[in-house]
Amino acid sequence: MAEVRLENVSKLFGRKRVISDVSFTCREGEFLTIFGPTGAGKSTILKMIAGIETVSEGKIYFNEKVVNDLPPQERNVSMAFESYNLYPHMSVYENIAFPLRAPRWGLKLSKEEERKKVCEIAEFLGIDQLLERLPQHLSGGQKQRVSLGRALVRQPEVFLLDEPIAHLDARLKFSTQTLLKEFAKNYRSTIIYVTHDYREALALSDRVILLRRGRVEQEGTPKEVYYTPVSDFAGRMVGDPPMNLLDGEVQERDGEVFFKIGDSLSIKVRNELIPSLKAAMRDEDGKKIVRMGIRCEHIKMSREKMSEDSFQLPVYAVVSEAQSILVSFHLDNDVIFHARSMQQAVYDYNVHDKIWLEFDQNHMFFFPKTIELT
Amino acid sequence: MSRVDIDQVWKIYPRGNVCAVKDLTFTVNDKEFLAILGPSGCGKSSTLRMLAGLEEISRGEIRFDGEVVNNLGPAERNVALAFESYALYHRLTVYENIAFPLRARGAKQDEVHKKVSEIADLFNLTHLLKKYPSSLAGGQQQRVSLARALIRQPRLTLLDEPISHMDQRVRAEMRAMIRYIHNEMGNTTVYVTHDQAEAVALCDRMAIMNYGELQQIGTVSEIWNSPANKFVAYFVGEPAMNFIQAVIEDGETVVFRGPDGRWVVKFKGEIDPSFIGSEITVGVRPQQLQVFREQPEENGVPGTVRVIEFQGEATVLTLDLGDNAKSEAKVVVEATERYDVGEKLWLYASPEHIHLFDGDLPVLRRNA
Repeated sequence: MAEVRLENVSKLFGRKRVISDVSFTCREGEFLTIFGPTGAGKSTILKMIAGIETVSEGKIYFNEKVVNDLPPQERNVSMAFESYNLYPHMSVYENIAFPLRAPRWGLKLSKEEERKKVCEIAEFLGIDQLLERLPQHLSGGQKQRVSLGRALVRQPEVFLLDEPIAHLDARLKFSTQTLLKEFAKNYRSTIIYVTHDYREALALSDRVILLRRGRVEQEGTPKEVYYTPVSDFAGRMVGDPPMNLLDGEVQERDGEVFFKIGDSLSIKVRNELIPSLKAAMRDEDGKKIVRMGIRCEHIKMSREKMSEDSFQLPVYAVVSEAQSILVSFHLDNDVIFHARSMQQAVYDYNVHDKIWLEFDQNHMFFFPKTIELT
Repeated sequence: MSRVDIDQVWKIYPRGNVCAVKDLTFTVNDKEFLAILGPSGCGKSSTLRMLAGLEEISRGEIRFDGEVVNNLGPAERNVALAFESYALYHRLTVYENIAFPLRARGAKQDEVHKKVSEIADLFNLTHLLKKYPSSLAGGQQQRVSLARALIRQPRLTLLDEPISHMDQRVRAEMRAMIRYIHNEMGNTTVYVTHDQAEAVALCDRMAIMNYGELQQIGTVSEIWNSPANKFVAYFVGEPAMNFIQAVIEDGETVVFRGPDGRWVVKFKGEIDPSFIGSEITVGVRPQQLQVFREQPEENGVPGTVRVIEFQGEATVLTLDLGDNAKSEAKVVVEATERYDVGEKLWLYASPEHIHLFDGDLPVLRRNA
């Protein structure tokens, strides 16, 4: 297995720059996920690593070797795409066995060795009952697993997986995700994985590269990406519901700093947070405006007043989840935000009840506004 | 609004002789939010279409407030419908889209204006009334579509996966809004979905269907705590309930045997004595399992961490259990706690969270 390194890589389609100055390293044996919204350039990066797209600027290294000019077949990568690209005239068995038979890799496996490998991966992915079928007799989810099996059957320098489980139904997605993670651990594989689903990104990866319009927005472990988003964009990309983002005005009175949302709500900002607040603050129509981000599980709720920092709002809606309750509040500036709790008491909250809330300032962030909230 | 009775309803498609809905009977109470949940092909959409009047009822009766509606067309039933696609009139403004059902009925200008303003306020659409649908985001278009459906105060609101294709943020807001509107307008709502989380989030009660048949109807906690069969137990909850083979030892305990010993787990409830000594399936929800580093006093089963998946608000561990069958179990733990692959842990479930199944059927009788 190899280490893959991108150094200031850019991609231009005509004059349009779709990837700008992207640098990262996927260490040997690492599971790295390129994560971002549709159109961020995730697949383009993966295709450049595979050699299917040319690199406009910058260098791509496999170990210490520059591979920019190597054609795909000389890079020794294994790929699975969102579209399955199965050979329609071959059985599932032959599709999966195909990379093992390619003369390039000179594996020269005996029939028994080949069968053992194919069956092992097919069983692993739960498609061992389908080996004799043709792709046309498979469901979308089954085809996708065959495609994944074909990618995983051989040990290349690096696995490149582009949304390989996007078409599985929710249940199967979850279990296949667990299998993939186990596969990565067992074989110490270098895997570069592309997804737009934050759950996959967090659950699978050793590290995540968050991509935004062709640039790296944040790089870090799943926990770093979840707990310390670098921007409002990063906060919005992760979580269900994603991070609450509330715009407000900064006001200073008697040496204390307040964050005012809408007409009625004003929160005293703790001293530790003031530097980040000041850094994120922007002037808009003579007011100092900043965006605050907080995850729903970091908003405390109670029927009683909790402290000087708590405030009261009427409940807009109550929505139950498996083990928790999500309570929504509607602010006078037309913004809805959500708070989550597992406490039994929350289960009695009704619409229009006035509830005391408190933002946990240890988990509060201030960002400049870089995305539209509509 | 109204109460809806579905009474021994069948839907048979003569071509291909497919029986999409079999002998379905349940009631939607006045002002209730009922979700119909099931996998694709379970008959939930056929049921919704029969309620709407878009599909003929092969056998049985549907009644709105006691009145049989089998032979009424969709318009005469006065139901509101919203689908995944918004079906807005792209050449009309948001205002005119919402006003359309009133205009079609020949309502006076004053009345139209009053009602559109009211409903636009409820749906947070007031600032968008002059815009055209194509300039709106998906969530906003769906709000317009819902506002248009609800403006004539229908007897019944039918929603067919209206938000399942939206992204997480919009979905959370739409869920809150759909629930808010339901409460504010005092509607009776039937919501069809294949997404169990969606159903759990929104409904007062849910009806779970499979192969055209009703599996169970009840509140979320009834379904969660006492599933009628293994299918229901498996279908509701994410990650799904763990199923592990074990042997019933006596009227109170099951036993797991492994190479390093045997572990006894107590359950709560009564069983038929004939089950003693037989192998059954134990069901435990990953959310109701707890992990310990030391052996708990009772109900502990050992396992080794195989996979760790961070989910954001929580972490899911997959463990290999120490029993002979090498069963696996998933458990939801706090995201802030640290675990390692290969670590030995003890799983604990309290007796009231243990479910027992013989094949598809529950074995335990519990007094609620």
